[in-house]
Amino acid sequence: MIPQKKSRRRSVDGPSPSTSTPESFDQLYRDHVDIMYRFAYRLCGEVETAKDLVQETFLNAYRAYDRFRGDAQVSTWLYAIASHACFRMRRKRKGEPDRELSLEEFVPTSEGEFALQIPMEGLSPQEALENKELRQDLDRAIAKLPSKYRMVLVLRDMEGLSAKEVGSILELNERAIKSRLHRARLFVRKELSARGLAGDLNRNTHTRLK
Amino acid sequence: MADRVRTYPGTRKPTPHQGHGKRNCVKILERLSAYLDDELSRDVCQEIRAHLGDCPNCEIFLDSLRHTVQLCRQRPSPSLSAKDRAALRRQILKVVASV
Repeated sequence: MIPQKKSRRRSVDGPSPSTSTPESFDQLYRDHVDIMYRFAYRLCGEVETAKDLVQETFLNAYRAYDRFRGDAQVSTWLYAIASHACFRMRRKRKGEPDRELSLEEFVPTSEGEFALQIPMEGLSPQEALENKELRQDLDRAIAKLPSKYRMVLVLRDMEGLSAKEVGSILELNERAIKSRLHRARLFVRKELSARGLAGDLNRNTHTRLK
Repeated sequence: MADRVRTYPGTRKPTPHQGHGKRNCVKILERLSAYLDDELSRDVCQEIRAHLGDCPNCEIFLDSLRHTVQLCRQRPSPSLSAKDRAALRRQILKVVASV
């Protein structure tokens, strides 16, 4: 990607307060709705809730539009708004704080827990993901993550942002982001290693490859 | 050497590999994401590689973690349909116009 000059990014990616009209906001919506929906879907794992989150995100963005100074990219700003909205929606629904994940719970205690019960040898991740059960198990594992860990995993490993960017979105230092990311990955790994998918996936893959 | 002592607090004899046992494996496990993300110093990477070479369980564990990260990275996400995109836009602009 060619780096844009700051002044250009401000005009394209970061509108100045004087342009905060419904028309310029409409442009911002059209430029970013797809990214925000993808993010929302990954966080919520469900279409209707993801749409609610997108709506909430853009409405909050409109309310804060005049205060956006263009210091960050618009997408980073929107990610932050969506993250806050998601935390609020979850808290309202569940009413309980996230549980903490400790490293100790991820230490394998028996031989069978070291490997992932998914044969990936000879398959690219994309090919492995063609298996519907694997996709569902992966989604379920991500959905089971406490929100603050899921948020980091989605932003880092699915949206592909850097630890620094995620830190600025969630207002945490990089060390905390890396610690949460590691625990989140270990959690998903453990869930997938406990699935016992091997037989089904082998069967489906062989059928598909024939 | 000094780096290695700092990276492994409590380690008195910084040798490349100190055998196995739960404690050493847990120290490796703590650093595996940083190892996969290439965030560790060369010394620490070397130490981890030395452990992995001798400890099949940790090697298998690392593979499984790498695969997990790859699956997350490659998981496609459904996109918004044109109809839903337009409907959402209408709802949002309606609220925005009334503010």
